[in-house]
Amino acid sequence: MTLLAVRDLTKRFGGLTAVDGVSFDVHEGAIKAVIGPNGAGKSTLFNLLTGFEKADAGQVTLAGEPLLGRRPSDIVGCGVARTFQNTQLFEELTVAENVLVGLHRRLKAGLGRSALRIAVRSEERWAEREAARLLALIGIERWAETPAADLPQGVRRSCEIARALATGPRVLLLDEPAAGLNRSETDALGSVLYRIRDAGVTTVVVEHDMGLVMEVSEEIVVLDRGRKIAEGPPLLIQKDPAVLEAYLGEEPDDEL
Amino acid sequence: MIATLLTRVRYGAVIAIGVVVAVLPLLTGDRYLIGKVLVFVALNLIIVSGLALVFGFAGQISLGHAAFCGLGAYTTGFLVTTLDWPPLLGVVAAVLISGLGGLALALPSLRLKGHYLAMATLGFNEIMSVLFVEMDAVTGGNNGLSGIPYFSVAGARFDTPALNYWLVWGVAAVVLALAYNIVRGRPGRAMRALHGSEIGALASGVDTTRLKVQVFGLSAAFAGLAGALYAHSVGFVSPTTFSLETSVILVAMVVIGGSGSLAGPVMAAVVLTLVPYADALVPGLSADTVALMQDWEADVYGILMIGVIILAPGGLGRLLVSRRDRRVAEAGEAA
Repeated sequence: MTLLAVRDLTKRFGGLTAVDGVSFDVHEGAIKAVIGPNGAGKSTLFNLLTGFEKADAGQVTLAGEPLLGRRPSDIVGCGVARTFQNTQLFEELTVAENVLVGLHRRLKAGLGRSALRIAVRSEERWAEREAARLLALIGIERWAETPAADLPQGVRRSCEIARALATGPRVLLLDEPAAGLNRSETDALGSVLYRIRDAGVTTVVVEHDMGLVMEVSEEIVVLDRGRKIAEGPPLLIQKDPAVLEAYLGEEPDDEL
Repeated sequence: MIATLLTRVRYGAVIAIGVVVAVLPLLTGDRYLIGKVLVFVALNLIIVSGLALVFGFAGQISLGHAAFCGLGAYTTGFLVTTLDWPPLLGVVAAVLISGLGGLALALPSLRLKGHYLAMATLGFNEIMSVLFVEMDAVTGGNNGLSGIPYFSVAGARFDTPALNYWLVWGVAAVVLALAYNIVRGRPGRAMRALHGSEIGALASGVDTTRLKVQVFGLSAAFAGLAGALYAHSVGFVSPTTFSLETSVILVAMVVIGGSGSLAGPVMAAVVLTLVPYADALVPGLSADTVALMQDWEADVYGILMIGVIILAPGGLGRLLVSRRDRRVAEAGEAA
């Protein structure tokens, strides 16, 4: 069943078309990868899906519900959460507090109720249990009380994933989760991705680490200069002439 | 266990301070201290609690809080003296009007950031200062409003310095408790998140615009409440009290107290409010010394602020926290 449907999505920056009529589907429960050379429009795609950039044309629906035009915080409420290529953690807050912020929409106490402590205690207790559960799921429970500013890179990425999961998403968008990780951290990330899928969350991952992409993803979308040039299972993508051309043709690099 | 012990120590300290503050009017009949200086301390605590929420926690600067304070003071002053409203209604109206004023300023301004937000709120303070003088049918112009009675409600009159002192400190205690409950709960977390990374907060589902506007409105309402109580405590209001300089001093209290802390700004507010009134606490201080301190008040705040930014960027609040953490760590090792 299609959960996330992207249709003819387009974004222009001046004369440059960063995302050019891109369409694809993400099936419920899948891990889908989006790859492409630098500047292919992958991060812009994520920014469009999450409301951080306004699309010029196209449609995005989550289980039939349109997402475009909504504010980022509302899109989170619809069930789409994300991480960032440059982690956007709350540096002064502990890992546990970062995850508690992710629970924001699943808690109810506003200014008035909090000020008067009306039914706050039970809600906060639930939140702390839920945060602890998520930290354990991602495997960073021993960092719970550490301020985000003091974390090693791998744990920073994990903390942001845990925070995104805390929003209770149906679709999780991960923007280069392996960037800055060493080999063993990347392997650990792979098993975290499987655990997230097993928890019933559909994942779309933008990633340069081809080992990880080929291992975990069921389907791959390849972007080049804003356009979708290929889509399919990893084994076919690896042999696709258009993909090889995009990666090796003009500016050879070691990404594939 | 150590954490609980520390919590108990802190609760104990708060209760002890509360008791001292509560019985002080029974120990001294000093009209200057009880009727004026310590009332000003409590009023600044009310304003600074709100400013700490919007600036210290949510990271949105306001150089217009003196104007909200003035809005509250003039609202109740006008309603109670000119229209003969009961003081309770005057104060309620003051809180509502300054809160609404806060929302009205916040809606357009909070799209701005950093220096631009500072400029917008500064401009608001200047505009209000002009209005306080020019709308003299309501505000009494340069003469201000006088003859504002002490607060009273349903026959209970707070018409001595001691009764007024208890009223203002009682309100300050309630406001502090409300602010404390906000910062330790879901909204406080969202505010600290917004301060840390607005993008991260949005991605966590926090509607940052709504949060900023709400908190700004609440903190303007606190300032208006303080202004209204000021009017009933002092008996008159004049435009110079609510100048930009006052706003700057209020911001200085939060900067020196530290961001992301309520205790720090509270302590800074107490100390900085007392500086120009040192003669009330230190007997035998010569009039010249006091005059000198009052002349140099703003300079002292400025120097303190620079010192804090250079030496302890987290402010007083951060020093407290890190000392506490050290104590916890040491106690943990010993155990």
